[in-house]
Amino acid sequence: MEGTPAHRLYDAIKRVVGSYAFRVVVQGILTLWAVTTFTFVLIRQMPGNPIQIKIDQLMDQRQLSYDDALKSAAGLYDFDPDEPLIQQYVKYIGKLARGDLGKSILSAGTPVADQIRRYLPWTLFSVGSGLLISFTLGVLLGMSMAYWRGGLLDNTMTVVASIMYGVPDFVIALLLLLVAGVQLELFKVGDVLGGISQDVEAGFNVPYITSLVQHAGLPVLTYVWTTVGGWILTMKSSTISTLGEDYITVAKARGLPERRIVLAYVGRNAMLPLITRLAISIGFVVGGSVIIEFIFQYPGLGRLLYTAINGRDYTTMQGVFLVISAAVVVSNILADLVFGLLDPRVRVGGQK
Amino acid sequence: MSENKVVLSVRDLSVHYLTQRGALKAVSHASFDLHKGETLALMGESGCGKSTLNLALMRLLPGNARVPNGAIVYTRRDGSTIDVLKMNQDRLRRFRWSECAMVFQAALNSLNPVLRVRDMFYDTARAHGETNHHKVRRRALELFRKVRLDPERVFNAYPHELSGGMRQRVLIALGLLLDPQIVILDEPTTAVDILTQRTIIDVLLSIKDELNFSIIFISHDLSVAAEMADTVGTMYAGEIVELGPVNDMFYRPRHAYTLGLLEAIPRLSAGAEELTSIPGSPPDLVEPPSGCKFHIRCPFATDICAKETPPMEVVGDGHSAACWHADQVYARALQFTGAES
Repeated sequence: MEGTPAHRLYDAIKRVVGSYAFRVVVQGILTLWAVTTFTFVLIRQMPGNPIQIKIDQLMDQRQLSYDDALKSAAGLYDFDPDEPLIQQYVKYIGKLARGDLGKSILSAGTPVADQIRRYLPWTLFSVGSGLLISFTLGVLLGMSMAYWRGGLLDNTMTVVASIMYGVPDFVIALLLLLVAGVQLELFKVGDVLGGISQDVEAGFNVPYITSLVQHAGLPVLTYVWTTVGGWILTMKSSTISTLGEDYITVAKARGLPERRIVLAYVGRNAMLPLITRLAISIGFVVGGSVIIEFIFQYPGLGRLLYTAINGRDYTTMQGVFLVISAAVVVSNILADLVFGLLDPRVRVGGQK
Repeated sequence: MSENKVVLSVRDLSVHYLTQRGALKAVSHASFDLHKGETLALMGESGCGKSTLNLALMRLLPGNARVPNGAIVYTRRDGSTIDVLKMNQDRLRRFRWSECAMVFQAALNSLNPVLRVRDMFYDTARAHGETNHHKVRRRALELFRKVRLDPERVFNAYPHELSGGMRQRVLIALGLLLDPQIVILDEPTTAVDILTQRTIIDVLLSIKDELNFSIIFISHDLSVAAEMADTVGTMYAGEIVELGPVNDMFYRPRHAYTLGLLEAIPRLSAGAEELTSIPGSPPDLVEPPSGCKFHIRCPFATDICAKETPPMEVVGDGHSAACWHADQVYARALQFTGAES
């Protein structure tokens, strides 16, 4: 036995470096760093900068001369557009390493982290429940369609799902708002825009929750409408190929009850290909849907991003992008682990 | 083979598949008896209806299949009989596997990849009313030992952790779990190498002696059929054209097609030049040829073969054949095999 301390230390290091968890974490950090750097450079390549945008606004709104506008704009923001890019980058990464996302440029003094904390729950709530509804509905419908293939449900839903899948979300959002809201007056447009009505008190009470659901209704509906088609069609084709597998015939030959075959033999195997897709979707839940949140004036992360992009609020944009990419990275790791639980053939962790 | 009671009696069974071009007559008017403890081997080319016939016995046919006529009479252990084709869904579900189990051709893909072997055993037992895991486990381990598997390891394994031959034996063990009277083996040895094939056949022979169930055996491999079977049936274009005891079938065949199959296998005693194959390919089953369906490819064929369907006639003890020229075939066979009449 080689038991020198140096050897043992070397072995320990080798074990840690070789372990799955270590690889995943390093990969995740590298991905985040690459995305951060890329967005950092990219957003600064957009025409204009925060000061420039503000100068344009001031000249436009208050009829100031360029010099006057420049002076007041520069005084408003803690941002120097003439600072070299590399210097800005080093400063930013340095702060980031200490967990500091910096301060918003537009809303001077507000930490970006606070902004994200304020907007994120809205997005998580609306897009999250949308995804949950969409996924559940899609899986159930897709499976039923595969089971009664060629039946009425299958034939109609295949067409409907393809159409739903093909129409862009902003068209649906505008249709809902203009046709159902303005023309048919099915609801008062003022009642559903925004995140919550002004007059209700936050807390765990009926009016608050009702108002919450009422306001989230249209964004969720739009999200479900545009995504459910994809789930339906994927689940249908996946179920059809699973139904053709020999182990399904064998399960029938073994006299298993239909319920058991549907759940453990068809359902579980047919769901496998959807897990990766679900993980990616969960990752993007955090980013919200910029256009939907803008149209419905929903106070989520997507709308924050929209405002930040318009005002060239670099720090806020970076913060939001970082959160989105972190969510995608984390949900992908989770997907790997869940996938391993569901499918023993790809179980990770090394041993067997 | 023992002359005792019949466990399965198939009478005039036909299976059609509905296709775009019309009804594909995959099995036509098949009749045979399976006795207790008997092994019946069905041989024939691919697409001759062997697998369809077996799926029909368990009513596992795909949705586009129809059974226009026939009866499948099963005799239970207590002596009562029942027609499988007339069972309702629940009865059928309980009949499957507990009375008649099936080991499929594609053993590699016959086990659910996301479940452990033990869960599939528990599932099967629970579906037939046995919820005591200890009992199921004890029985499974015993069967694993019989089929020469490492019991503990295999019981807790996932299918992908086992080799093809091991999975095949797991399926055989699973098939025997509920102590069925009949086990259908659909080409159990085609997907595995020659050594594993040997093991599986040895296992089958030994457990069959021990447990005394009946076997319906499908194989392309005539040597395997010869070794396993008591009775052999030859199928051509969906019909059972000859049926008889294994020695009669291999040494004194009466149907031109059976003889053709025998001549196509190499023999140690014969030179390579004596190997012949059957010319042509199996006929279209949507519009089958008139008369004897084999006449187009048959070296003995005469006018009558194209005009009239030969009846199934008894040609020996438990041996029957449907051929107009059974005598000529027999004479040629004696020459070929060197057997004595």
